[in-house]
Amino acid sequence: MARLSEDLKRAVTIFISATMVFSTLAYVAVTPRPREQFYQIYVLGETRKAERYYPDGNPNILVGRVVRWYLGATNFMGSVQYVVIKVKLGNSTIKAPDDVNRVPSPAPVLLEFKKVLMSNETWEFPFVWEIREINADDGVIYPTVFEINGMVFRNSQVGALRGHNFRIVFELWSFDPESGRVMFGWRTGVERRVAWLQIWFNATMPGT
Amino acid sequence: MLGLLSFSFATPSGGYSASTFGGSSQAIDRADMEFKRAIMAVREAEAAGADEDRLRILVEKLNSALWMIDRAEILLLQGDVVGASAQAERSIEISREIVSDAVKLRDESVQSAYYGRVFTFGLVPVASLLVTAGAHFGWKWWRRREIDRTMRMEIRGLKERKEEE
Repeated sequence: MARLSEDLKRAVTIFISATMVFSTLAYVAVTPRPREQFYQIYVLGETRKAERYYPDGNPNILVGRVVRWYLGATNFMGSVQYVVIKVKLGNSTIKAPDDVNRVPSPAPVLLEFKKVLMSNETWEFPFVWEIREINADDGVIYPTVFEINGMVFRNSQVGALRGHNFRIVFELWSFDPESGRVMFGWRTGVERRVAWLQIWFNATMPGT
Repeated sequence: MLGLLSFSFATPSGGYSASTFGGSSQAIDRADMEFKRAIMAVREAEAAGADEDRLRILVEKLNSALWMIDRAEILLLQGDVVGASAQAERSIEISREIVSDAVKLRDESVQSAYYGRVFTFGLVPVASLLVTAGAHFGWKWWRRREIDRTMRMEIRGLKERKEEE
């Protein structure tokens, strides 16, 4: 009887210990792990690498000169997300997006690319553009007509002295379920983050 | 998905009243609202642990609805009010389909996740019992082996002592 009770005691101890260990394992298996939530946005050059952003390495873009980039975004938010990439035309005086206050650039929007992305999905596509027409007004050059991915866009607001220091700004916006709107950047817990890129170029008149 | 919007993309051609444009614009707004509802529904299904392949199908449909809204906006800017309304209505239809599919998928996923959890936690006592039985019989076998070994050593010792005598 004494022998049996000792065996029983041992068995009960082992059973309780094993139950605790397996319960912990089961809990870990069924509970999703928290992870960092963020997006990645990038622009690649014509070789699909972080190089050769300008034809012949020359940032002076002539009218009719085709520039080929690849624009991409990856969703690391851990869920399905609706993403908008806003393409803006700026110059050296128009403000860039504000990382600290999470304010987008006031530069006018040229066009928007929109897509719903799965978790961990990368969305990459060509961004082929050229300046079709250019106007000069008292030394200020306005690239008035752009062609981007085969579509024509007009600009009458953004100019630059001698055509120097234009920039194309890419801003990542995402759908915010709380407000039901698309907002600049994204929310991760109580924090808000933003992501944007810019590439500078000079618009040059033919014959200059 | 190429969104429209430019500083000045195109000007609407004449012949349409403001109310006609307003009607189309309202259809686009409704399409946009339905699209956002569809996203929320898909995200709920995903949070419930929906299967990735089925989610991918819903996401593809979402992208179709999004493309149609973009297309409707472009058509409206070009003055094609009828075309814009048709695209917006089609987008609304797709978004509603997505909501309905996503709700079904969410319910299935909730149920499947529940059964999965019950199965996982149900395995806990079974695994514990197996470990307990294994440990119990393992302990018994080891103890018997040790006793046999000790007995053999004692017998060998006795035999050696007898031989020496």
